[in-house]
Amino acid sequence: MTTVSGSAWLLIMLVTAAADDFHSRVEPVLKRHCLGCHSHAAGAMKGGLALDSRSGWARGGDSGPAIIPGKPAESLVIRAVRRSEGVKAMPPKGAIPEADIGILEDWIRQGAVDPRVLAPAKPVDWWSLRPLAKPEVPSGFAHPVDAFIATRLARSGLKPSPEADRATLIRRLHADLTGLPPTRAEIEAFVADPDPAAYGKLVDRLLASPRHAERWARHWLDVVHFAETHGYEHDLPRNNAWRYRDHVIESFHADKPWGRFIREQLAADHFFPGEIEARRALGFLGAGPFDHSAYTTARATFEYLDRDDLVNQTMTAFASTTASCARCHAHKFDPISQDDYYSLQAVFAGVVEGDIPLEVNAGVASMRVRWASLASAAKARDKSVLLSPANEAMAEESLGAAKSVRWTVLVPDSWKGTGGTTLERLPDQSLLAKGPRLEKDTYEINFMLPPGKFTAIRLEVLAHESLPMRGPGRCDNGNLHLSEFEARVVHAGNPAGEPVKFASATADFDQSGWDITRAIDGKDQTAWGIHPDVGRPHSAVFTLGKPMEGRPGSRLAVTLRQLHGGGHLIGRPRLSLTVDDPKGALILPEGVERARAVPRSERTEAQRLDLAAFALEIVARRELAALPESARVYAAGAKSEVVLAVGSGSAQETSRPRQVFVLRRGDLDKPGAEAMPGALSAVAAIPARFGIPKEAPESARRAALADWLASHSNPLTWRSIANRVWQHHFGRGICDTPGDFGRMGGEPSHPELLDWLACRLRDNGESLKDLHRVIVMSAAYRQVSANRGDAAAMDGDNRLVWRQNRRRLDADSYRDGVLSVSGCLDLTMGGPGAREFIAGPPVQLTPRVDYGAFDWASKPAHRRAIYRFVWRGIPDPFMEVLDFPDLGLLTPARASSSSALQALALYNNKFTLHFSGMLGKSIDASAKPDNQRAREAWSRVLGRLPDAREAAMAEQHVARHGTASLCRVLFNSHEFLFVE
Amino acid sequence: MGQLDRRNLLEGIASGFAGVAISAMLARDGLAGPSTVHGGLHHRPRARRVIELFMNGGASPMDTFDHKPALEKLHGQNLGPKVKPEGFTAMPGAIMKSPFSFRRHGQSGRWVSEVFPEQARLVDEMAFLMAMQSKTNVHGQGAYLMTTGFTLPGFPCMGSWISHALGNIADNLPTFVVLPDARGLPYNQQGCFSSGFLPAAHQGMVINAGAARPVPDLFPPPSFPFATREADADGLAMLSRLNRAHAERHPGDSRLASRVASYELAARMQASAPEAFDISREPAMAHKAYGVGEKPTDDFGRRCLLACRLVERGVRFVQVWSGPQGATNNWDNHGSIVRELPPMAASVDRPIAALLRDLRARGLDEDTLVVWTTEFGRTPFAQGSTGRDHNGGSFVSWLWGAGVKGGVSHGESDEWGYQAAVDKTTGHDMHATILHLLGIDHEKLTVRHNGIDRRLTDVHGKVIESVLA
Repeated sequence: MTTVSGSAWLLIMLVTAAADDFHSRVEPVLKRHCLGCHSHAAGAMKGGLALDSRSGWARGGDSGPAIIPGKPAESLVIRAVRRSEGVKAMPPKGAIPEADIGILEDWIRQGAVDPRVLAPAKPVDWWSLRPLAKPEVPSGFAHPVDAFIATRLARSGLKPSPEADRATLIRRLHADLTGLPPTRAEIEAFVADPDPAAYGKLVDRLLASPRHAERWARHWLDVVHFAETHGYEHDLPRNNAWRYRDHVIESFHADKPWGRFIREQLAADHFFPGEIEARRALGFLGAGPFDHSAYTTARATFEYLDRDDLVNQTMTAFASTTASCARCHAHKFDPISQDDYYSLQAVFAGVVEGDIPLEVNAGVASMRVRWASLASAAKARDKSVLLSPANEAMAEESLGAAKSVRWTVLVPDSWKGTGGTTLERLPDQSLLAKGPRLEKDTYEINFMLPPGKFTAIRLEVLAHESLPMRGPGRCDNGNLHLSEFEARVVHAGNPAGEPVKFASATADFDQSGWDITRAIDGKDQTAWGIHPDVGRPHSAVFTLGKPMEGRPGSRLAVTLRQLHGGGHLIGRPRLSLTVDDPKGALILPEGVERARAVPRSERTEAQRLDLAAFALEIVARRELAALPESARVYAAGAKSEVVLAVGSGSAQETSRPRQVFVLRRGDLDKPGAEAMPGALSAVAAIPARFGIPKEAPESARRAALADWLASHSNPLTWRSIANRVWQHHFGRGICDTPGDFGRMGGEPSHPELLDWLACRLRDNGESLKDLHRVIVMSAAYRQVSANRGDAAAMDGDNRLVWRQNRRRLDADSYRDGVLSVSGCLDLTMGGPGAREFIAGPPVQLTPRVDYGAFDWASKPAHRRAIYRFVWRGIPDPFMEVLDFPDLGLLTPARASSSSALQALALYNNKFTLHFSGMLGKSIDASAKPDNQRAREAWSRVLGRLPDAREAAMAEQHVARHGTASLCRVLFNSHEFLFVE
Repeated sequence: MGQLDRRNLLEGIASGFAGVAISAMLARDGLAGPSTVHGGLHHRPRARRVIELFMNGGASPMDTFDHKPALEKLHGQNLGPKVKPEGFTAMPGAIMKSPFSFRRHGQSGRWVSEVFPEQARLVDEMAFLMAMQSKTNVHGQGAYLMTTGFTLPGFPCMGSWISHALGNIADNLPTFVVLPDARGLPYNQQGCFSSGFLPAAHQGMVINAGAARPVPDLFPPPSFPFATREADADGLAMLSRLNRAHAERHPGDSRLASRVASYELAARMQASAPEAFDISREPAMAHKAYGVGEKPTDDFGRRCLLACRLVERGVRFVQVWSGPQGATNNWDNHGSIVRELPPMAASVDRPIAALLRDLRARGLDEDTLVVWTTEFGRTPFAQGSTGRDHNGGSFVSWLWGAGVKGGVSHGESDEWGYQAAVDKTTGHDMHATILHLLGIDHEKLTVRHNGIDRRLTDVHGKVIESVLA
């Protein structure tokens, strides 16, 4: 027996008395006046303050600790309730009774004993976080799934329902496994098949079909909110996004082990560097929305929200966890701390979105790497590379071939921005733009024309510290757009002057689609640009049609029209002339020109570097441009490998992952400690911080998260996907909130069954097809869907699975079903999205999209729905009314609604009408009598012959309105829309 | 939201017209129903219908309703931030006074600039929110925030929440109608009228008011000869027989009955909508008052008149947009306030005044709320020479009609109109107030989605008591 000394007893008794006092006197005061806004229970911690535990008030809120034991006068709580000067008065509604303030003061004076501790969320206490172990299967059943289901039903005194007939089963299997209806011939053959194993054979056949992969890829694309446009303000198309969709389909078809599927999507570049095709999987990282406007004008907010979306997507998709709830405070319901959340953000801190090249030809790939690394060495002026003997020789050779052109810099004597831009002359005779930046402007610059016969004019656009991104343009991204370059020669006696005609124009760099010839095409709406090669000088040479002669008193007037808008103005122009023949000449920057003039042996290292950097960059670019273009996928990855969604050549932007800080209350202005890559601490079996060294490549972070997720010790992952598979075979998951296994989600109806399925998946080659087979072979799956009074009275919701659930076709299945039945379905797989709309010219950047004007007779219309080009912000109204999800958000389970608008769409939309017409025509083509046409339509659409009453109705309708009209009615029928 | 509703959302087993349950309660209990319905009506509603007028692009406060004499004094001085704030498209220029003259109007003495002469006559009926603030200076995020309560895509907009909570007034018309500018969709395309994670039934119905067939799919297009009138009618009759028989064979599934009912409702909509959406049935005087057929006002006037007809016939929520996305023809006046703002103002001013007067004349002001708003304001600093940049710091909105106290204002911006200074008001506060007027406690209207009980007002919002009548 342990003994306790007398004094210790006394202490314990005192503390206990104080605790009692707290509960009887103090806590009611807090409850009455404070906890409504400052407690976890109320779900509100205003000002960041929680008064529901000692640690809550000791740490305090935004204004610091709320209570200082022993010092009521210094405690913020007291000062607030006393409404003292300089403190926000609390409660805001009005002062609390003096007696209550007295109780609080006494309590604080006596040391503020507070026995309350927040019940820490114990991870192991929650079903989804418990370690995953294969449960014992109840004995006496042929199939493990049925063992769990029937045992649970028996506990409630219920029995399973009988097996559905074969006609029902084949339609159900087709719908679940392939998303397409069976033909009548297939149904009849299956019904008549004497083979007792026919069902299993059918399952195997359907699982092996590419149609199965297409169907299940659609479910996955919902979960990751995949769309082919950006969303937000500028809903721009991503023309290479479809390769990710194809990758998902191919992965399901190949029954790729689930862990591999995870690793590819998060870090294919890291795990499988040699497998180029696998990189399409990285489209996962680029599946979500992209706020183009925020990226260009509000970068900090953009980064933060964009990473948040990735964290949310990854954790919901793979682990059914709502981690982003912890962005502003520790998750209220689940054991996820802010540290955990920002560790997840840190995983993605180095990725940017855009197109990733998929280099399939190894030879081309190695050439591309070689020239790209030379180009970046040139850009970085890396002398260890540039001054190697081989490279310097190459530079010399390429420059040696170039003709030399001598330029005379012109001295401007008058100039103006006609719209109001202020231009200031610098000592090097360039003009620096200053003052408010206009949307557009035209610069007029005048010079004395020196004597000589000039063949070309050079325009340099120079960089400067005062320009955004160092220029050379004034746009925020450093770009400029020169709409038209014009010049006039004014000789004495002819003040109007003569326009100078240009034969050609070349530049050292052209923005894609904005090449220099557009500055002399006479059109103000086209222009020369230099994006993304900003932050450094560029030049353009305009060769004259015939030489212009400088005579005494001659002047040259140059007009730079910059009318594109958006502040795309030149920041620092300078003009020069030459008498040499510029044809075939390289456009040499001044420093290079000067270095070149120095004999080779006498050049300084800086001069050698100037020459090599300039020449080798041109060589590298030329070689790169000559290589065949590689395929791309819209995805995300390390910056160096990505063609950005919004171009940015900013030299300041590092390719190192950004630092991520734990943000107090999710506020960007309140950064705390730096977060290191990691995941959830609540998964006890795996280290939650990855310990990745700072110098490790960015992909190591994503790879570590992939390993964490794919670990056999991570119970969330395997439960998550097993639940999703079940969900799509029964219309609802065992846990009915497939995206949220936390405390705000549902609890599993059959926890042992879910664990058994999860283990089966994990321990059996991580094969999804095996799991499908297991589930659909069960008697539980094969039950009839009919309602049963006895069971409905006890479990109206069918949570216990005493029958199968009747399910309405989702938008995709409805569409594919209509196409299939009408004989129009084109089963071509893969490739760019089918554009089932008419795109008109954009109002700004986003095209106008008209779905109603689309001609359903045109070819791309007949592919499966998964191959549609899907807009994030401009949904197809027909699909939408059938509950196709809003791809701004993750959709673990689609809704299934009905409405008058849905009825109108199904009955009157061009889609239904066109394919009713097609089906009608194909039936009529065999020129059968009305009664046979009616029967044929019935059996094609519904997969069965009509009974006598139905046949009479149908025949009458065909006789009066034709076959197509009957098809239209049937495409609206319950029987077509619901799967039993 | 109770367990039942959540299940309905996930499974869609609801009546198919989610919200009907609550609106049926509203009808049964009259407008004075008791208050404790979980997730539904919480107090006596003052309004039953809402028209929202959304000025797309960020309407400038200091050139319309927020008179700032200080700008006159400081004009031309470089006093703005020295680092480009997030979401500004350029470095702020010098302080710029309004190019328009201001005058006091009405008994309330509200300052209104010369660009809104017609609304100026009605200021005593409006309640102004003078210190609205947004947490973003980016159009997409700002428009989402003011329509859905979040800066991110995927959340249901106010019209969808209201449709979900209250359902239809008249079941022969859609519940929630959106009337975009004829020149194009606003920023975020259709994102601002999405039902997000609520069922598709609560989606805003986007109407092309100028089209010959404004309601999509109301009737089959003429290009399908087999879809004659008679075939339509006979087809629906046959469909009803078939689907009823199917429902009888499959008892105990409310979705099937609900689908049968949905076709009956569709037929009623076919009977009512052509009349409801046809403004040519309005007298010539009304067309004239709204400026229909006249140059600057035609499109917006047409849509205001339509909005009036629709709420009169029982549409619950109508959203009328002024201005498409893009750099021109909207309220995003970066280039020149003096050049770009007056034509926008002229296009809406007369139609808005006509709408308010018309609602009053028809007695609809008793239970119709009108809201004028935008996604953010503009800088007191010049952009370029005479434009203004985005500014979430302060902007103006107003409320009019049922339950609104006329002639009052709430909040003040600072001396320059740059930041909200007194009684800062967020979009969440405005949404909370609108829901309050409809009889809904914004904190109780929740739907669980992916682990969070979501609200229109996120975790914010308080009802602006001072503008309530």
